[in-house]
Amino acid sequence: MVAAAPTAALKVDRRAGKYLAFQLGNEEFAIQVLRVREIMGIQEITAVPHTPNYVKGVINLRGKVVPVVDLRLKFGLPEIEYTQRTSIIVAQIANRSSKLLIGIIVDCVSEVLTLQAADIEDTPDFGSGVELPYLLGMAKVKAKVKILLDIDMVLTAQEVMSLGPLGA
Amino acid sequence: MARRSDHKTMSVEEQPAVSANPLAGDPELLNDFILESREHLTSIELQLLTLDQDPGNAEAIHAIFRGFHTIKGMAGFLDLDAIREVSHEVETILDLARNGALEITGAVIDRILESKDYLNRCLTELELMLQTGQPPGATDQAGLIEGIRSLSTGGGEAAEVRGRVGPATEGLVRLARGVAATPGEPAADVAGVPAPGNPEAAKVMETKTDGARSIKVDTAKLDYLVDMVGEMVIAQSLVKHDPDLASGLRPRLARNLSQLARITDDVQRTAMSMRMIPVGQLFQKTGRLVRDLSRKYGKQVELDLEGEETELDRNIVEELADPLMHMVRNAIDHGIEMPEERVRAGKSATARVRLKAGHQAGHIVIQVSDDGRGLDQEQILRKALERNLVPPGAELTETEIFNLIFQPGFSTAEKVTDVSGRGVGMDVVRKQVQKLRGRVDASSVRGQGASFLMKLPLTLAIIDGLVVGVGQQRYIVPIFAVREMLKPSKDAISTVQGSHEMALVRGALAPVIRLYQRFNVKARFEKPWECLLIVSESGGRQFCLMVDELIGKQEVVIKSLGDTMQNIPGVAGGAILGDGRVGLILDLEGLIDANDRA
Repeated sequence: MVAAAPTAALKVDRRAGKYLAFQLGNEEFAIQVLRVREIMGIQEITAVPHTPNYVKGVINLRGKVVPVVDLRLKFGLPEIEYTQRTSIIVAQIANRSSKLLIGIIVDCVSEVLTLQAADIEDTPDFGSGVELPYLLGMAKVKAKVKILLDIDMVLTAQEVMSLGPLGA
Repeated sequence: MARRSDHKTMSVEEQPAVSANPLAGDPELLNDFILESREHLTSIELQLLTLDQDPGNAEAIHAIFRGFHTIKGMAGFLDLDAIREVSHEVETILDLARNGALEITGAVIDRILESKDYLNRCLTELELMLQTGQPPGATDQAGLIEGIRSLSTGGGEAAEVRGRVGPATEGLVRLARGVAATPGEPAADVAGVPAPGNPEAAKVMETKTDGARSIKVDTAKLDYLVDMVGEMVIAQSLVKHDPDLASGLRPRLARNLSQLARITDDVQRTAMSMRMIPVGQLFQKTGRLVRDLSRKYGKQVELDLEGEETELDRNIVEELADPLMHMVRNAIDHGIEMPEERVRAGKSATARVRLKAGHQAGHIVIQVSDDGRGLDQEQILRKALERNLVPPGAELTETEIFNLIFQPGFSTAEKVTDVSGRGVGMDVVRKQVQKLRGRVDASSVRGQGASFLMKLPLTLAIIDGLVVGVGQQRYIVPIFAVREMLKPSKDAISTVQGSHEMALVRGALAPVIRLYQRFNVKARFEKPWECLLIVSESGGRQFCLMVDELIGKQEVVIKSLGDTMQNIPGVAGGAILGDGRVGLILDLEGLIDANDRA
């Protein structure tokens, strides 16, 4: 999506802003704060049958039923035991037709970053054939690299739906 | 009279031409017009049926006249020529009638009813135009009318309307006179008259007087309110049963909590009642059907309505219209005999179809019954055998035989008519009723009539559920789907071909579905005789759902799992359980269907 933006300047402008950083394994990721509705500790999740393995189930968010996805499994990282630090980030994702809330399980939430356009670099080219549509870019913060995620692309409703039957 | 009508037409036509009228294309005005006109048409139909029973009822004629008049006025204002012209014609007829120059006959009423239907179609067309996003504007307005006209050319009446536009009034009056003069064959004469029956006027009068006491609310808002109130009730009960509170509850807190419970209860009832509408509106529609069908078949049928004031969730009423029509149609087509036959059987020539609504044990019960020939058990059984719906030599009880008519593809009509008899009737009825989480049963006494009983929940928003446990998971089984629950003995379980398990339930074998296998979760017990079997029925077949244990019973608000998880086989939705966790509501029919495929 972003890769298709007409000019680099425009793209960079749009990417600057506040980000919520979190950890998955050894890597630091970040998503735009504006998309985050809520951060909560891990809680009991009701498993839903016939869904892909990374869809952990549904939780009750003040009366709303919200699906929860384990980002580790989604990104192909090994599954680990949930701990006190494990968090669910409830984010609003938008697809063509609607907006929906989705919970994302991450190892731990670290901080809120304010990124200037200058801090952000485009995703490096990993060679042909490697397409990473859900990467907004990379940010260098205190000599560490944070991967900026486009949360809409990470998990679209269509994807979950189309994968649904496979998990059965 | 003719002059008077002419004058009216003139005044309407003084409106600026289509393209010059800035109001004509306003979607909001059009929408209001559609809504209001619909209401008028409904009340016109009602009045017409009254008039049919009592042709001298001047009050009804006035009410109908007012209805058409209002629609005509509004249509003229919005440059909806087709509607205006049709309404105008009907108005002329009605004017003659109320001045005593025209006798109200069945044919006249037929014609007005037809016009009413025509207007209804015009409105539907209009609505479609608005929805398909045609930008409103002068040109589109013209296109709209063109669409309506072409719609009318499709049906006979429409063509008539078109042809008549020029010398309309004159022709109508002549026709009307003809009708008045030759009461013997009024139908042919009136046939030329496109009578647009618009019941709107009467409704308008009503809305005017009611205006101060009621407002129109978007149904989406109402649905949301009901949902939220459901949440509130659950949250309230969570607080009340909180273990921290329960220990050491002080009298003041207890008092306040029970006050809160009372208020939430009240709020819930009020919110629910806002969405309730009397079932009478639904019954009214059948009045028209009964009239049309009985004329068509030459049967004499009287419609008895009872409990019209019984209130039902609006969503249910909407979904119930088709099944009800089906059943009434079936009753008249199959159930009721010709008058001669009835007399021979020692019954009165006029048959009765009875619609009765009422409350029963927290449910709404709607009964459709007739005093016709009743259901023929032997014939049903024979058909079922022909169609392989029952195995040969099966011993069926009376109820089981009657329930065969709800099987897909079953039809006992000896010949296919355009009304019923294609065998798509009763199974559709049952599907629809089940969708509403209700059930329908048939009963009959040979020669004395048949009766269909629909049992429906009061509302769709909340269901009574059994909370069952499988391992760590909690599931909700809708109570309406549950026949019985049992802990089987060891010898009640048998295995067919080593894989398919069957349980013996009251002498009948029913397949066992192990929920933990289906949902791929860990169960505490894997031996059926340690588990609980929930006996349910889908599509006429019994089956048993194997779960670990029964945890309790709870009323739950049904929630969608969201766009992402809409079509999961066996899961109907989610609900917040008493402990705040989400429980999945099972769709038993989906489970057994999946079992068939497996």
